[in-house]
Amino acid sequence: MKIKKLLPILLVFSLLLVFSSVTMAETLTVNTYTSDPAPRKAMKKLVDIYEENNPDVDVQLNITAHEDFKKAIRVWLSSDDPPDVFSWFAGNRAKYFVDKGLVMPFTDVWNEENLDQKIPRAFKSISFFEDEAYFLPHSYYWWAVYYRESIFAEYGLEEPQTWEELLEVGETLKDNGITPFAIGTKFKWTAAGWFDYLNMRINGPKFHTDLMHGEVPFTDDRVAEVFKKWKYLIENDFFVENAAAYSWQEGLQFMTQGDAAMYLMGQFINDAVSEDVQKDMNFFRFPIIDKDVPVGEDLPTDGFMIPAKAPNPELAKDFIAFLASVEGQRVFAEDMGRMVPNKDVPDEVYDKPALKGKKMIENTDALAQFYDRDMDPEMAGDTMDLLMKFWQYPDQYQSIMEEMEQVRQKVME
Amino acid sequence: MEKRKVQWRFLAVPLIFYTIWVIGPTIYTFYLSLTEWDGLTDPNFIGIQNYLDLFNDSIFYTSLVNNFIWLLIFLLVPVVLGLFLAILLSKKIRWAKGFKAAIYSPMILAPVVIGLIWSWIYHPKAGLLNNTLTYVGLNFLTRGWLSNPETALYAVIGAAVWRHTGYVMLLFLAGLTSIPPTLIEAARIDGATAWQRFRYIILPLLKPATVIVLVITMIQSLRAFDFVNIMTRGGPFNSTNVLANYMYTEAFRNYEMGYGAAVAVILFIIMFIFIFFYLRRIREEELSV
Repeated sequence: MKIKKLLPILLVFSLLLVFSSVTMAETLTVNTYTSDPAPRKAMKKLVDIYEENNPDVDVQLNITAHEDFKKAIRVWLSSDDPPDVFSWFAGNRAKYFVDKGLVMPFTDVWNEENLDQKIPRAFKSISFFEDEAYFLPHSYYWWAVYYRESIFAEYGLEEPQTWEELLEVGETLKDNGITPFAIGTKFKWTAAGWFDYLNMRINGPKFHTDLMHGEVPFTDDRVAEVFKKWKYLIENDFFVENAAAYSWQEGLQFMTQGDAAMYLMGQFINDAVSEDVQKDMNFFRFPIIDKDVPVGEDLPTDGFMIPAKAPNPELAKDFIAFLASVEGQRVFAEDMGRMVPNKDVPDEVYDKPALKGKKMIENTDALAQFYDRDMDPEMAGDTMDLLMKFWQYPDQYQSIMEEMEQVRQKVME
Repeated sequence: MEKRKVQWRFLAVPLIFYTIWVIGPTIYTFYLSLTEWDGLTDPNFIGIQNYLDLFNDSIFYTSLVNNFIWLLIFLLVPVVLGLFLAILLSKKIRWAKGFKAAIYSPMILAPVVIGLIWSWIYHPKAGLLNNTLTYVGLNFLTRGWLSNPETALYAVIGAAVWRHTGYVMLLFLAGLTSIPPTLIEAARIDGATAWQRFRYIILPLLKPATVIVLVITMIQSLRAFDFVNIMTRGGPFNSTNVLANYMYTEAFRNYEMGYGAAVAVILFIIMFIFIFFYLRRIREEELSV
């Protein structure tokens, strides 16, 4: 009797199993870190468009906050049940997963979709690892010196093009009781931005890349030049006091209140200010220090990858193809003011600042991601601590360079 | 015999959970501390290399020293202050209940919230502390409390002390209620001074409460993490780092799980030694009485 009773239950269960495995084949799991309100909305919109185009596919979108995502992705990738597609950062962080064999190449998609024609060549270097495409660049933003137009107008200042002009602007501002640069270094990376730009402007993007990859010692004389320039700014009160007490947003308040005039920051600075201030914000390229050095810019790029153990690789590749298309990219440009790599995305989707940024990038010789996106995570974390020490004791830059070198050797061994 | 079996049956369920969630991971952490592991590929056994590296690691020493400074201040300030407040507020004074509630209330808040509140108090420009100092004419004392490596650690500990004092006070208050007032009254009639009453009657009778306070204070100061992580993240340049935070950054920022585990093991041993010897001494004394 017991068996008789069990049989229908078993039947139902096995049916359920069959059924669920059928539906599973139609489910595409996408995990992203687009957790801020605007990116969250844009990502959902993208998924909706894809589902509309592919009625038989059900996309399961899981959004996790940035920092949590960075930890969780390591667990997902090494588990047997990873997502089909996940959002990720270009540069060293992408390379890390490629080196560990945790992600799947999709060179076939790249060729089928003819992405060589659609995506600028500069991006290929961050997408390809040993002739295979692993990373689809999807959106990016630029770094620049942001400033308050009203303050510049009040003191008759122009956007500085060279280092000397920048120093002059700074002196004028200081004479009028305004701090030239706002910054909050509690989370350290804002200071790393200064290192990036000073190094690229003084020593060029090639040297910068080598340094970021740990191929040049930090004790190199050329690095000393970076610290000397930076030291001058710190010692001459170009930055707000007690910067280490503020997060980047708290540091921004000096600028929104009009106590500071400029901030070296990414395009996302606009996400953090009121509309009134936004209208008063403008930006210029980090001034040229040495005319003979090629111009490099930080251009952090976000994109998508496929885990090596993705349950539905074919579906994942189809989604990647969609993300590479005009339809799959324009939402991020239109709704968030980010730049997108696909060249066929029409210019009218960009607002005025975005077009200015685009023009700036087009006149750039080489691209970097960002200090902690280009570097090994441990080396980035520990050397950024030392940049904080430099900020406090700029005199000691020589011993700090040696300490940075010790970190490099420890990580590289 | 039967009774024993029943006991074990009751114990079995919590024991299983305890083994899975506490003892197991602890042992696994000991094993991990002997490996190099990035959290992705398989752990690579390297013997005691992590510990050898630790002994040459200046950040490890900074964190260790900071933990002991933390412990010292915690044993001094909140314990003494808490005891003082408890005795004061156990007297029949006006508003005693209100004061008790006010002093205890920080304990209700999560440490994260307190860390944020104190970050605002320490805010160099708009903060309560610097503005008050300016207001009373002590401008020369104002500074970036959390950004200056000389003051940052003490500023963070200050926030933690604020939270802990109320807790200590409450524990002592509970201890004080268990002392029969007749005893103190009798001493008073016999002509004992206030200090004598405190030293020879209240303090010895408060011993059970004191033991709990000291153990909790030690644990709190050694496991310090939340305040550091919220207020300074161990910065500027590690001047406020403590072992628990260092373990966290090594394991989850630098992806050196093995190295982080080694820090955890050291922290575990320090805590274990302190608490083990302390509790053993207490037990011995109790038995000898």
